[in-house]
Amino acid sequence: MTRVGFIIRELVNNLIRHPGTAFASFLSLTLILLLFDLFWVASGTSREFYRELLSDLEMEVFVAEETPDSLLSSLESRIIGTAGVKTVTFVSRDSARVRLQAMVGGDLLAGYDETNPLPRSFSLTFWPEQLNLADMDRIENELSGFLEVDRIYYSRRWLEKAETTRELIWQFGALLGLLILITGLVTTANNIRLMAGSRAVGFRQMQLLGAGSLFIALPLLIESFLLGGGAAAAGWALLKYGSGQVAFTQFTLIFPPNEQILWFCLALACLAVLSGYLGLRNQLKWR
Amino acid sequence: MSEQPVIELYNVYLNSRRGSPVFKDLSFELKPGETAFISGGAGSGKSSLVDLLIGRCFAETGSVSVFGTTLKKRLFRRSRRNLSRIGGVGGIFSLIPSMTVSENITFPLVLAGVGKSVRNERLFKMLTEFSLLKQASEYPPGLTRVENSLVQFARASVADQPLLMIDEPSAGLDKGTFERVVQYLVKASLSGRSMMILSSDELELPIPNMKRYRLEGGALV
Repeated sequence: MTRVGFIIRELVNNLIRHPGTAFASFLSLTLILLLFDLFWVASGTSREFYRELLSDLEMEVFVAEETPDSLLSSLESRIIGTAGVKTVTFVSRDSARVRLQAMVGGDLLAGYDETNPLPRSFSLTFWPEQLNLADMDRIENELSGFLEVDRIYYSRRWLEKAETTRELIWQFGALLGLLILITGLVTTANNIRLMAGSRAVGFRQMQLLGAGSLFIALPLLIESFLLGGGAAAAGWALLKYGSGQVAFTQFTLIFPPNEQILWFCLALACLAVLSGYLGLRNQLKWR
Repeated sequence: MSEQPVIELYNVYLNSRRGSPVFKDLSFELKPGETAFISGGAGSGKSSLVDLLIGRCFAETGSVSVFGTTLKKRLFRRSRRNLSRIGGVGGIFSLIPSMTVSENITFPLVLAGVGKSVRNERLFKMLTEFSLLKQASEYPPGLTRVENSLVQFARASVADQPLLMIDEPSAGLDKGTFERVVQYLVKASLSGRSMMILSSDELELPIPNMKRYRLEGGALV
């Protein structure tokens, strides 16, 4: 208990004797991590935004002219049995005409009352996880294999662009996140290095009196842990508070689940210990 | 059966970082309860001797043993285990600036895992013995040189460390304080502690069981 008591007292003393350093470290790390959290939320929100946009994506499967109506229900069953297809709606020639009329604002087929030239089709929707180029291509290939299918249409180019944009945002975000994280860790290491540097004489004397490296380092490592974990938690608290003060009409901010935030704070605390050690290790060398 | 020496140096050769010889065939032995007074001018190797004994540097050839542990570079952690049994004053030993006088004095007890009540008891004894009661809650930068020395002596004695290493015992002390230090050294010697006193000056010390050496040309004469 004596040694534990000493470590706790040293930890408290560090904070009391260097309140400016401790507070500045906490504040700078909180701001850096707030930036990281902001990006995390922005990334989650944009992902959700894209998911919503893509959920409207439909595929039109046009039936070949020579296919008799009696085969349509069998074709519908095979289409709905295709992996990834959520709903299938049959669009008859008459429904297609109504749709076309609604789209262009006038009946382009006036005079074709007896022979409606519009094709019959099936309108497909998909499960959210299938709304990507690879799966859509797979579904398109599968459906093209049916003899009754004439051609297939969906907004492939739009999906391609949406995916490229999402990928770009993710890549840029990953780079930015990594940069922010490195900045945070270097800041912690540097703060601990400065703090340890100011106590180099004391560390040397402790070593000369027989104190081990871990015993000397532990108060500062605990401080790093608290600094990292505390700053990460403060960053999220600030962000949650801030998001409660403003309201967005076009989208809803998507926060990661609390469990993930907790793990993030813990991971940050552990990384801060590592960077604290890096900042400290030179002072602990026995020379 | 003879007692195991506290310090044993046998045919030690040591070069400085620049490669010039510091010790040439140095042999020395300090038995329990003995005091060695080693004098030598500046650059004679007094500090190197301390470094050698606490494991800050290692002999090129020959052997160095402290409390029966042979100090070797590849087993440098071993040498650090001995440090808690050495009470150091002066030279490379100084006070921990971020700790109060009381905390400095009791630090060896904290390392030894001694409980709070015993620690306070020994602290009070040391503060009284070295007249440091008023300075108990001061920090080292606020102490005079004399007070600083006295705190170091108190710290070197608080855990009854079996070996005392004193570098320049008279440095910075007035005559009255030095006499008190000498009395303390006599008392420490009589209590059976081994001491190694390093000094630039030839001091007359009435310490029983004291052997005098002089560091000259890399050897003890």
